[in-house]
Amino acid sequence: MRLRRTARVALLAGAVVLLTGAANTPTIFDDDETALILSHGPWPVKSAPDPSNRLSAEPAAIAYGKALFESNDLSIDRQRSCATCHQENLAFTDGIARGIGIARVDRNTPPLFNMRLNRWYGWDGKSDSLWAQSTAPILDARELGMTPATLKTRLESTKTLKEGYRQIFGTVPSAHEAEAVVVNVAKAMAAFQETIVSGKSPFDQFRDALDTGDTAGVAAYPEGAKRGLKLFIGKGRCDLCHFGPNFTNGEFHDIGLPHFPAPGRVDKGRYGGIQLLRKNQFNLLGPYNDDKLRATAGFTRHVRLTPKNWGEFRVPSLREVARTAPYMHDGSKTTLEDVVNHYSEIPEERLHQDGEKLLKPLNLTDAEKADLVAFLRTL
Amino acid sequence: MRRFLTGAVLTASLVAASLVAAGPALADHCPTDTLATLPAQLEDGTTTVAYKTKPAKIEVGKPFSIEVVACVDGKRRMAPSRIRVDAGMPMHGHGMNYKPSERKIGPGHSTFDGMVFHMPGHWQITFDVYEGDKRQRLTQKISVKR
Repeated sequence: MRLRRTARVALLAGAVVLLTGAANTPTIFDDDETALILSHGPWPVKSAPDPSNRLSAEPAAIAYGKALFESNDLSIDRQRSCATCHQENLAFTDGIARGIGIARVDRNTPPLFNMRLNRWYGWDGKSDSLWAQSTAPILDARELGMTPATLKTRLESTKTLKEGYRQIFGTVPSAHEAEAVVVNVAKAMAAFQETIVSGKSPFDQFRDALDTGDTAGVAAYPEGAKRGLKLFIGKGRCDLCHFGPNFTNGEFHDIGLPHFPAPGRVDKGRYGGIQLLRKNQFNLLGPYNDDKLRATAGFTRHVRLTPKNWGEFRVPSLREVARTAPYMHDGSKTTLEDVVNHYSEIPEERLHQDGEKLLKPLNLTDAEKADLVAFLRTL
Repeated sequence: MRRFLTGAVLTASLVAASLVAAGPALADHCPTDTLATLPAQLEDGTTTVAYKTKPAKIEVGKPFSIEVVACVDGKRRMAPSRIRVDAGMPMHGHGMNYKPSERKIGPGHSTFDGMVFHMPGHWQITFDVYEGDKRQRLTQKISVKR
């Protein structure tokens, strides 16, 4: 197996030289590197419906969820919807550093691709399901500004949303408790968001070509991206956290960014997220989980709160990353070049004294930075 | 010496912990028949720990359980008063993001659920075996790949 893979890589490298006329020194991946590259696929990942959401993958619920997602009637002032900040033409983000609903929030609006693959939702992971997360902007006074009672009344008084509700849930909103209406709406919106899946990227095509021995496919991947990929899985050690087909471990780390969204106000990050999770009536240990055996609640049951969680934020997927600027939980990095610069010159003094001994300045050259960005743009 | 977990590179490492105080008399024997069936065994002086993970192959980011049998007091093979299991990445300076919960099966015999290795690399599982206040720590190094 080992010899066969080595031979294959050598063959592919030779093909690259022939096809490019040796204009650049071809990037060669050894056995270990090839295994790491292959571990980032195949894509897309097949995922089953969410057991905690009985509406997951139900076509009628998906359609109703899309209507809710795009409806201004879900905001207290009827001036905005979920789609106001999660704009499809901006990769389901808003393109600004921090989201603006009824008021400005403290964090960057995340894209909505491949949500079904997440374990935690939100930059702080305060939600353990997509439907629980979907309740948050509806009820946040800075975002859509509703309460369970106002949402129930609004649905009851909006003809199309009321009829859609009746078709999905078998009765009108007024027949349900206000909190149950919130959950039903959120589950329908989650069913819709689960359908937002990113397509095969140039990296995926390269990765599949490497896997199948398609020399032309391997050669077609830009040389700069190959060098960047080599850095990503090598010197940069980026894939310690951004691993697997979705390029994330789904967990939380402190990467030395400021924790103060405004003077005198601290963003507790994961520490606050776990606190909110535990007291959230919509978490997977609560009564609204449709998975009655609670097999979906294992992470919630066992999650551990420690001081190191201060200032930690969720490791985002890197899929579609070129389209989701600005970056980081606070939108403080405008471009991918800024992100790479951050890791190249990471301010160690900002990292927790009792935190991870993992991050060190990468001290990348300008050429290496350009290669890393070239790779990221292929995701 | 011992069977290794499928798919994981294991290197046994035994670390003796401080003996705080003499423990109380132990009443129950540990389940030596089960001990013999578990694929991985660690020994340190008079303490023996045997365990197996479920699933057998530990995958990065995926939850797993550990069934543990612990015996103390040398050849008398007594059950300890308590077992604790945890894990961390010593080189990174962090533990697991999840706290395992214990399901007691019998004296000296428990299963710990909710273990997750959330990063690839070198992990260390710690088995703390108590006789009253006296603790013996045995450790197992495990390398997890992406």
